Amino acid sequence: MAIECLVLGRYTAALSCIPLATARLDLLAHADAALGGASAGAGQEVGKSCVVATIGGKRVMFDCGMHMGYHDRRHYPDFARALAAWGAPDFTSALACVVITHLCEALLPYSHLDHIGALPYFTEVCGYHGPIYMTYPTKALAPFMLEDYRKVTMDQRGEAEQYSYEDILRCMKKVIPLDLKQTVQVDKDLVIRAYYAGHVCSLYFLIVLGAAMIYAKVGDAAMAYTGDYNMTPDRHLGAAQIDRLKLDLLITEYGPTFNYEHDFSIWSTYAKTIRDSKHAREREFLKAVHKCVSGGGKVLIPTFALGRAQELCMLLDDYWERMNLKIPIYFSAGLTIQANMYYKMLIGWTSQKIKDSHAVHNPFDFKHVCHFERSFINNPGPCVLFATPGMISGGFSLEAFKKWAPSNKNLITLPGYCVAGTVGHKLMSGKPTRIDLDKDTHIDVRCQIHQLAFSPHTDSKGIMDLTEFLSPKHVILVHGEKPQMAFLKERIESELGMPCFYPANNESVSIPTTDNLKMSTTERFITSCAAEQEGVILMEKHKAPKILCEDELAQVLGMERHLVQFEALGSSGIEEAVELEFKRAEAADL
Amino acid sequence: MGDPHLLSSAHPAAAASSFARKHPGPIDERFSDPSPHITKRPRVAADTAATGGSAPYPEAEVRSLVMMAGGIYPLARAEALRGLAAVLGKVDAYRCFVAGIVECCYGCAVELMRDEDEGVRLAVVGLLGLCAQKFAARWDVDAKSDGDIMDLIFQQLSSMARDMCTKVRIEAFGALGKMQRVSEGVLLQLLSKKVIKTDTMSGTIIKGQKLPPKLKIPCAAGIFAHGIEDEFYQVRTAACTSLGALAKFSSQYAEKALDLLMDMMNDDTETVRLQTLQALFHMATYGYLSMQEKHMHMFLGLLVDANALIRNAARKILGLVNLPKLQMFKSAIDCLIASLEKNPEEQDIYGILFSIGKNHGSFSANIAKHLAKEIATASDGELILDRPRVKALMIVSISAPFSDDKHKKLDIPSIIFSHAISLLGKVSCALGEEVNQDSLLSYLCHKGGMPLWGNRSVSAEFGESESCKVETVEVGEQIENTAKATKCLDRVLVMQSVESILQTVEGAWTMRMSCDVCEARTILRTCKEELKVLAENSSGSIGAFLSFLCEYLDAIRLVVELWQLIQLDNSYTVGLTAPDILLEKLNISVRRMECCYAGLNRGLEVQVMELSLLANLLGLSNIGACSKAVLSKLVWVINRLEGLCADGSCELSDFSREIKKTFEADHIGNALIRNIHTSVELFRLKPTTDFGALKAISAVFQVCDNNSENPLSYICGLPVGVSFNISLWNISSNNRLWLHMSIGESVQHTFLEFSSFEGDGEVKSGSMVVPLNTTPMAHSFVLRVCLIMECYGGISSNQERHGGPSDCVVQLSDELDVYFVSTGQR
Repeated sequence: MAIECLVLGRYTAALSCIPLATARLDLLAHADAALGGASAGAGQEVGKSCVVATIGGKRVMFDCGMHMGYHDRRHYPDFARALAAWGAPDFTSALACVVITHLCEALLPYSHLDHIGALPYFTEVCGYHGPIYMTYPTKALAPFMLEDYRKVTMDQRGEAEQYSYEDILRCMKKVIPLDLKQTVQVDKDLVIRAYYAGHVCSLYFLIVLGAAMIYAKVGDAAMAYTGDYNMTPDRHLGAAQIDRLKLDLLITEYGPTFNYEHDFSIWSTYAKTIRDSKHAREREFLKAVHKCVSGGGKVLIPTFALGRAQELCMLLDDYWERMNLKIPIYFSAGLTIQANMYYKMLIGWTSQKIKDSHAVHNPFDFKHVCHFERSFINNPGPCVLFATPGMISGGFSLEAFKKWAPSNKNLITLPGYCVAGTVGHKLMSGKPTRIDLDKDTHIDVRCQIHQLAFSPHTDSKGIMDLTEFLSPKHVILVHGEKPQMAFLKERIESELGMPCFYPANNESVSIPTTDNLKMSTTERFITSCAAEQEGVILMEKHKAPKILCEDELAQVLGMERHLVQFEALGSSGIEEAVELEFKRAEAADL
Repeated sequence: MGDPHLLSSAHPAAAASSFARKHPGPIDERFSDPSPHITKRPRVAADTAATGGSAPYPEAEVRSLVMMAGGIYPLARAEALRGLAAVLGKVDAYRCFVAGIVECCYGCAVELMRDEDEGVRLAVVGLLGLCAQKFAARWDVDAKSDGDIMDLIFQQLSSMARDMCTKVRIEAFGALGKMQRVSEGVLLQLLSKKVIKTDTMSGTIIKGQKLPPKLKIPCAAGIFAHGIEDEFYQVRTAACTSLGALAKFSSQYAEKALDLLMDMMNDDTETVRLQTLQALFHMATYGYLSMQEKHMHMFLGLLVDANALIRNAARKILGLVNLPKLQMFKSAIDCLIASLEKNPEEQDIYGILFSIGKNHGSFSANIAKHLAKEIATASDGELILDRPRVKALMIVSISAPFSDDKHKKLDIPSIIFSHAISLLGKVSCALGEEVNQDSLLSYLCHKGGMPLWGNRSVSAEFGESESCKVETVEVGEQIENTAKATKCLDRVLVMQSVESILQTVEGAWTMRMSCDVCEARTILRTCKEELKVLAENSSGSIGAFLSFLCEYLDAIRLVVELWQLIQLDNSYTVGLTAPDILLEKLNISVRRMECCYAGLNRGLEVQVMELSLLANLLGLSNIGACSKAVLSKLVWVINRLEGLCADGSCELSDFSREIKKTFEADHIGNALIRNIHTSVELFRLKPTTDFGALKAISAVFQVCDNNSENPLSYICGLPVGVSFNISLWNISSNNRLWLHMSIGESVQHTFLEFSSFEGDGEVKSGSMVVPLNTTPMAHSFVLRVCLIMECYGGISSNQERHGGPSDCVVQLSDELDVYFVSTGQR
């Protein structure tokens, strides 16, 4: 009978668990380490996001994105290789579930689907049939975006069809919607829960709500995958919210948000005006707009359909109300309708203020927004106009721009980022006095230009804050640029004292987890705990370990207590003994 | 299972002290040394013996609570922390440190700072805040103690303010605001999300080997920047409050905090904006608010905000801040003027204008120069002082000499002052409590180079006004001294005009002789109007006197009119202005003068009596025969006059003497009627202006909840109760007041008991329900009610009083209509 006995030093009453075994949490990360960097223009590349974590033997795939930079198989994560590594017959048996945190970074119009793009391929082509989880808004928006993207790749790039529209629909049927803070028991051991991750992007154009942070737990091993999140609330979307959880591992996306801002500071000549307060930017914006309209000028705010337009309009509407301004604010057609539909559907995902006021009146029914018709752009007098698209690349915002740009009383506000080649980009780079639309059309630009700057600090600070708040035992950074991640790793390790990793694609990181071991004790041990008592852990094969008092040990094991006695021998004794031995030897010899 | 720690703490009171003595080890381990600065580990057990003699054992309590705080149940942990806070709150600072209680609590709080349960974290914030207070208190006692601990707690609290739980954030920001003795570097770090390099953060501690304060908790950086962007307005409010409260520790911090606070003016929640303004006001009162040009647009926007509370708060701040540039000053003034034009009811703007002007002496002088130019170039009637802009600029201009910077000689054109006199009321309002009106007036007159009426007052007041120029602070003390002078001045002003009016009246009286009655009447009317205006603006005895004079002029006018009719002598009668009516009016008027003024002095009484005599005489002549009642009244008046003049303090006038003589000669009064013309010719107007402590007796009353739209209901033929709210002025208990209620012809009088009235000597008020005994058999009716007072002085001609007042009454209030409708008709 093999018995292991371990004597713990000064076992105190406060300890209820002992880290004994080191369960392994294997992690396989697909993350892009190399990105396009600081190259200007349209050639940005965005990595795919796909992380597979193995906790307590359960594999969970977080996100299933595609890489927009490649036009071949490298599009998708290397599923086949992963399967081979796992040694499983198919994906369904290999993976416990797939969780999609959000659709895309939504930072740039061409970057989308880096969190979901590969999903139809994975389910329909690779043949994964297990559960897929995503939040309600994500589920609502995913089919449209996937279909949109499929068309783009097929029509514009002439790529071979990877999956069909039917595939998308079939794939979406398998999706199980997930509510915030809803705990889902995926199987016997695995539990996942979604937390609000805030709005993913507060840049000028698309805002994708419905992003979630996912908490997963098997037994005592717990981890969280944050996807992309935001710690700074907006006027209409809230900040990330999560409980303080006991985490062994936090996988956080050190996302492209940071990269782009880094890039912007190179691209944009306005980098110097960047301030680290959202309020300061709002103040500048309001000041510029107010100055312009009180001077009788017209303000053109080119914007994308959703998100930022609503935020800016809420800001203006509030200001108008407070300052008692009577100048009309116009929304070019379609903007209002879309926004209302979008937000009404998803009111639970917006900020506290919107939730509060929603019951009383629709917060997107702006008081000072007037009905607009196209002919109004020729009207005299001041006004504010929100028009699509955001980069003045065409459409109504260009039409208004053509009319209004020649007057120095007017104001154009530009988004923080414009794609090269658009009018917006031309306006941003330097102060042009003349813009050539084509060889026949020229526009004299005399109007003022206000650029909405944006914060460069939120993200790295946000990651630090969240990490500190959650205080996990380990941190893994994914989906970022290598030097940036190295820098952040350094900070996390030095400032927060947590081991941090940033694995490259197809690299596995394995970290130890705590495993709580329940142990029974004898009654005597408990009662004697008040005194300083040394205990003994008894571990027998096929039996649960047990803590005992030292003197109970023999009894429990059913053994007698053996005493080994040593006697102190005096010098005479030694002589006697030697003599005795000597005699014995002599006798033997004889 | 079986957390032995929890078990042992199940009987905290009993077990704790013995446990503590026996086992200091485990407890000490709990203090995993939160910071290197607490070098001394709290050895609570050792001290227990030392202080064990006193009755309460906070040490024991603390020990047991600390143990409970280590339990596995979150609610118990939170409760234990609150318990610690309660114990800590009770123990006085000195004892805390002797026994190491604060360290003990602090260690416990730090331990649980990152607890999983938000309730526990909430309690931690409270405890940390309290610990910080105790540490600060120790600093007060013992200057040697380590200040770094404050910075550390401050950072720990800051990191709590980044919690995901809203309540914890609110609490943490609240606690931050109450912190004391925080070093500047740490404060600045809270404003910036960027971690400030330690070498730039020096300054505060350079002595020796001590390291500069390093940011030990990185997420504490920029906590306010996060706080003011929070999703929940409660958090933003708390952040703003603390942001302002901490400004008193560092001017550099205050400057940066101002940037953040200014941005909060765009917040979408009104509460947050108001709180921000409150914080700014707080900063301004501490003198840490220096407005910069970039803030002006935002801040001035608040002055024209749609919300009156915001406007008001913003103005208050503006009255305190220092604006470094003339441009800013001018824009602030312009904005205030715009606000004034928009909201003319907000008169306190003038006060703000004055204090701004006062705070920026040289800028105001500049404004004054421009204004003087404007005044000089404007032709007559173009510059209307009523225009808010001119008024505002005027106030700014005259505020300049009150400014604190005495070094510069500020020469304000005298034209400003002379124009400002017309704005005296506004100016003194603007000055508020600081300066009183009379000294201001004389000051303005002096500055404006104008002679004040009578050099006497100038010389008398000038000394004080000089002082109000330079030392506005001390002026407060002088208020008492000059209060009397103010009244005198008021009185002088009023009396001057009264005298001139009375002269006019006397002129009009003589004019009557030349038969130009119409003109005399017009003059009398105009004079009375003027007196009325004066009366409305004054109070106290002067007000009473003015209303008395009004009454007097009325009577005179009636006499004039009546006299004209009598002279025309039955040639024709003109409808309603028949002598009877006029005579009755005259009698009422005289009676009012007699009865409705308490404290008539002799001169005034003589005046009234003579008028009464004249009225009676006219009455005689009107009737043409001597009625007994009139004659007896006449006798009474003559006797009274004689009585008044008996001690020789005033002389019986020729008129009275003549009548007396005639009357003594002929008791029946025929001679009087014959000589009436000569007698009346003898009557001279000699109104006195000495009024002593005259008081006007008056009353106001109203019926609760009644108008023609909302009548009271009644049942035909049954009594109905009407409830009145009545206020009485200067009524003494001698006065007998009645409620005169009439429905058409039928009249009911109800005596007013003063017992149910409350109030001091001057004003009595009360409400009472008066029963209306008979209601008519009608669908609806109107009850006319008025308050009347019996004239105790007069002789009642009506001997039989039907339980009502004597018929010699005066009406004290206007008649009030009370509407009734029968219940059946509703």
